[in-house]
Amino acid sequence: MKTILIADDDHNLALLYEQELIDEGYKVDVVHDARAAINRVQNDPPDLLVLDIRMPGMDGIDALNRILGINNRLPVILNTAYSNHKDNYLTWSADAYVVKSSDLSELKQAIRDVLSKRAAEDNPNG
Amino acid sequence: MPNADAVALLKNTLTMILAGGQGERLYPLTRNQAKPAVPFGGLYRIIDFTLSNCLNSGLRRIFVLTQYMSNSLDRHLQQGWSIFNPDLGEFIFAIPPQFRLAGSWYRGTSDAIFQNIDILERERPDRVLILGGDHVYKMDYSRMLRFHVESDADLTVACIEVPVQMATQLGVMEIDAQNHILGFEEKPPTPRPIPDNPNMALASMGIYVFNTRSLVRHLSEDAKRNTAHDFGKNIIPTMVESGRVFAYNFKHGNCNRSVYWRDIGLLDAYWEASMDLVADQPEFDLYDPAWPVHTHSKPYPPARLNIGSQTPSRLILGQGSVVENAQVERAVLSPNVRINPNAQVCDSILMEGVVVGKNARLHKVIADEGVISPPDCTIGFNLEEDRKRFTVTEGGVVAIPKGLPIE
Repeated sequence: MKTILIADDDHNLALLYEQELIDEGYKVDVVHDARAAINRVQNDPPDLLVLDIRMPGMDGIDALNRILGINNRLPVILNTAYSNHKDNYLTWSADAYVVKSSDLSELKQAIRDVLSKRAAEDNPNG
Repeated sequence: MPNADAVALLKNTLTMILAGGQGERLYPLTRNQAKPAVPFGGLYRIIDFTLSNCLNSGLRRIFVLTQYMSNSLDRHLQQGWSIFNPDLGEFIFAIPPQFRLAGSWYRGTSDAIFQNIDILERERPDRVLILGGDHVYKMDYSRMLRFHVESDADLTVACIEVPVQMATQLGVMEIDAQNHILGFEEKPPTPRPIPDNPNMALASMGIYVFNTRSLVRHLSEDAKRNTAHDFGKNIIPTMVESGRVFAYNFKHGNCNRSVYWRDIGLLDAYWEASMDLVADQPEFDLYDPAWPVHTHSKPYPPARLNIGSQTPSRLILGQGSVVENAQVERAVLSPNVRINPNAQVCDSILMEGVVVGKNARLHKVIADEGVISPPDCTIGFNLEEDRKRFTVTEGGVVAIPKGLPIE
């Protein structure tokens, strides 16, 4: 079972993601700030990180780039209410950029795409 | 191209010079300084040639990415190249590693740019010109930029025809009649020759023009893979497969009388390029007012020759140098060198502050800054003996490091 880590300061939204992704068959962990996400990646890396951008303290863009130095193979999906960060070059090392919506189908599809792309890269002979 | 477009082309281009290599193959000249800071041609530092190309091409937004032993390079840039006005958006800034991304020293040439991607985010140029800081040549980069735009390229790589055996140390490309790059291989053991000459191959000069968005996309993807993070090994071959990648032949951008480009990152190559400057008809022209080479020099007194009946011949004589009744034949003397009576110096390069004692004999020597060769000493005539004390190259050049007392 793949483990997904959600980093989002909005507790209600994180709870929604958690339930919906558990229903999709993933194991889900939740943290509410960027430093906790970094610690978790360092100590017990998930299979994929869903990372909010605007959080109190460190933002998701800084976290994304720090995580790159810790584990550059970890798939990260930036998940934010704002589309304007999409043009920021510092977000381009994310594996996907999803704008938040009450309908989680885009996020779920992005998770499936990123995980299967990574599986194909890690295991090129299938 | 209309004039306003030509100006916009230069203004919207950011130049990044990779000046962080260790320069191990130039040791001992790189013992205390980065390769781009190594003196060359009596008056200059190696990076002056690349920076002067930028200046003469009209490029005024330049970052120099430094890393190892950048102290003297920083000082040189500060003293010699604080010539632009940042208030007008024109600058040359030296940037040491920031450890913002990846948290490590630069792992490869493309990682050096990736780790500074915040600069690209801040400056938002349309294009990025990437250069090395360790070659001697004169090139009008604006012509290459124009070619890049007119070809609608994602990436343009400057290239030069070189003998096949030399190409094993360079990136080698295959192109079609429209200069579209079809294949690119870094340091191939058997380089593919150009179609009409089996002895020559088309080699990359390490000069790239990227559309910024394309550059950032490929750097970001490469950062997520465990590669060498190198332009020649990773980024260019990947882009050749999927993007519009073109070759720009150096002969169209060359601003020297003859096509001249030298990688002087190896002691023998450094020595040869220095000797080119004191040939009967130097192939590389330092004296062309249309393409001045800018540098920083200290205010030494004028050079003085007191040669009596002896005839020094073919030498570059740095400011403040004194040749006193000595025999000098094919030599490049940096500022403040002193050659004392009856000494013989030939085929040699003497850096700033070198003193050659009375009756001393030097042949095919590179003496680093401040080396004092005592009276009557002989260097470069018995390589077996020299090898016990100094670096002796395959080509028989003896390199004497700074600060080593010679007996």
